Amino acid sequence: MKYQSQKVAKPYFIAALALFFGQIVFGLIAGLQYLHGTFLFPELPFDVAHMSHTNLLIVWLLMAFMGAAYFIVPEEAQTELYSPRLALVTFWVFLTAATLTIVAYLFVPYSHLAAITGNAALPTMGRGYLEQPLPTKIGIVLVALSLLFNVTMTLIKGRKTSINLILVGSLWGLALLFLPAFYFPTDTVKASFGWWWIVHGWVEGDWELILGALLGFILIKMTGVDREIVEKWLYIIVAMTLISGLIGIGHHYYYTGAPSYWIWLGSIFSALEPIPFILLIGFSFKMLMQRRREHPNKAAMLWALGTPVMAFLGAGLWGFMITLAPAQYYMHGTNFTAAHGHLAFFGAYAMISLSIISYAMPLLRGRTANSSAAQRWEMTGFWIMVLSMLGIALALTGAGIVTVILQRAADDPMGFMQVQDKARVFFWVREFAGVGFFIGLLVYLRSFFIAGEYEYASEMKQALAV
Amino acid sequence: MKLPQAFPLRPCTASWVVLLGLTTITFELGSGAPGQTLMAAVLALTLVKGQLVVSYFMGLRRVRPLWRLVMAAYLATVGGIIALAYLTA
Amino acid sequence: MHTETSVDSAQPLPGDFAIWIFIFAELAVFGVLFAAYAFARSAHVDLFNVSQLTLNRTYGFANTLVLVTSSYFVARATQSIKAGRGTACGNWLAGALVLGGMFLVLKLVEFHQDFAQGITLSTNLFYMFYLALTFFHFMHVVMGMVILAVVTYKAYAGRYSAANHTGVETGGSYWHMVDLVWIILFALVYVIH
Repeated sequence: MKYQSQKVAKPYFIAALALFFGQIVFGLIAGLQYLHGTFLFPELPFDVAHMSHTNLLIVWLLMAFMGAAYFIVPEEAQTELYSPRLALVTFWVFLTAATLTIVAYLFVPYSHLAAITGNAALPTMGRGYLEQPLPTKIGIVLVALSLLFNVTMTLIKGRKTSINLILVGSLWGLALLFLPAFYFPTDTVKASFGWWWIVHGWVEGDWELILGALLGFILIKMTGVDREIVEKWLYIIVAMTLISGLIGIGHHYYYTGAPSYWIWLGSIFSALEPIPFILLIGFSFKMLMQRRREHPNKAAMLWALGTPVMAFLGAGLWGFMITLAPAQYYMHGTNFTAAHGHLAFFGAYAMISLSIISYAMPLLRGRTANSSAAQRWEMTGFWIMVLSMLGIALALTGAGIVTVILQRAADDPMGFMQVQDKARVFFWVREFAGVGFFIGLLVYLRSFFIAGEYEYASEMKQALAV
Repeated sequence: MKLPQAFPLRPCTASWVVLLGLTTITFELGSGAPGQTLMAAVLALTLVKGQLVVSYFMGLRRVRPLWRLVMAAYLATVGGIIALAYLTA
Repeated sequence: MHTETSVDSAQPLPGDFAIWIFIFAELAVFGVLFAAYAFARSAHVDLFNVSQLTLNRTYGFANTLVLVTSSYFVARATQSIKAGRGTACGNWLAGALVLGGMFLVLKLVEFHQDFAQGITLSTNLFYMFYLALTFFHFMHVVMGMVILAVVTYKAYAGRYSAANHTGVETGGSYWHMVDLVWIILFALVYVIH
């Protein structure tokens, strides 16, 4: 770790992992509530468990991205962060706001929360992922502005690399794309547009660029491949993301009251959205094959290779399944979407976050890589989480198939609750896989508590002895 | 295609003139009666024009055969799909 | 007079290889759009035939001539810089830019006429494709002109030479792609029926 100010990334990463843990706890609760609707009712009803699960996801990913920015920007710019103190203050503000918000979800009835936080003055509450009270939303904007100010000032005074420019540029995009959160018209068609500008704009656009920048940084550091080669790959990936994703947003407009030309434009362009993910796989494996060194952090390399593969499966493959208008006509809003959402969010954004944490955390703790024992625990955690998440996706896909057959495509459709009943076995499998995921998470977290750094000497001896 | 030494025009200039001519023919055919012959003719002309741009403007005449094949395959594929769609209309 | 000496048929693609990946990607996207148009038409032949007749083919023809000529100018620019003549290169590129600007103006006039007649993306399936395709291409002409403008500036500033002119070939290749796409588009949308 070359610059002292990179240290500020550490609290962000730690908080990210803690919030990730919280996210999964609520996920297990919500998953069980699919099967026993009155589990923990009325203290913790499903809607509260659900929004705690999703909101914690967003916050922990944002924490991870911010930590990544504070770690990467100084190193790429070859200068200390503009204001480490601002970064730390911002961290505490963000963590406090996030914690208070979750506590408020849990202990204050939602409508009352809306009343006491000024929702009547500027309504923003009540939409998925955007359930936060107005003060929290404003807090998010201020935290984002603080981050942007800090990293931009650092970038201005330092070396400008493609990675830096893409990362800082997309962080600006992230902040700007959040602004529609304050736009909540009564016209449901327009409200839907605004919602998707944030959600699609983030996860099928802006965040893909962040992923590319983070992956590029990790691969340059770990493989020693020429920066120029990495940069060329990134330009192409960025270009394909924008080409496919900008008009590809239309795949959310088919059946929401938008003009019908979106059926064509959305289908054609969103069909291309898997391409950047295919390129990311090619990119990471090509860099691996052309590597000039054997980096001792094997765990981080595993994360860096696993991320594009899982991202392609979740975002590219499962996404493609539901993207064409004729298919979506039957599958819209079913568990196909939930399967895609889980596998894509984890495969792309959770995994790239865990990748950068895997690479950076040992450095933040004063070593190049963790001990082999710690790395084994970490890699075991990786595999358990990856396989469990694939299990979750397959289970939810099964539930989705039941819905399409019995409720959407049938000549004599069954009612919603009847169909949910028929899909119970899949919800059990999902919960089971979810428990597996939680175990994987625990194994992964354990790895941070295994002492010691990479044993160069003994690993070298072993390698030579073979 | 190698032009004889005495030919007064550069290859790219000759291509340009041909392209202008083929474009004019395409335009004129546009006022013709609809039909498969017209469609086939215009499509063929278009692919020739495309190949001229690829060979002489992009300058791919001298590059590795792989790339020439890729571009030729692209034109053939797009032309083929269009022909297929129009024929099965 | 231009003579051809050795024919070395194993050269790499002109310019930076990365732009070619981008070019192939763009060609693929437009190819998909053309295919979509063709298949959409096959289900609505009469609608497409009738609506197509309302297009102003003369504008399309003029635009094709303009774009083909601008592509020719870019090819001449590349040849100039290969002979070490930076200013001549800049002049050819400037000419290409002027023609590119003419394309944009003609297209905007055509769009204005369309909108004045109340034609929008929602009018019918043919107009949806026509407007979407030509607008999408329009944006690529704009992008191509931005690239060419940068290259033109550098050419005039003497930043290229006979030995070092990758930028000219890179920017030029992109422009030729824009031209190639229009050639197909004009035939498909304006002419073939």
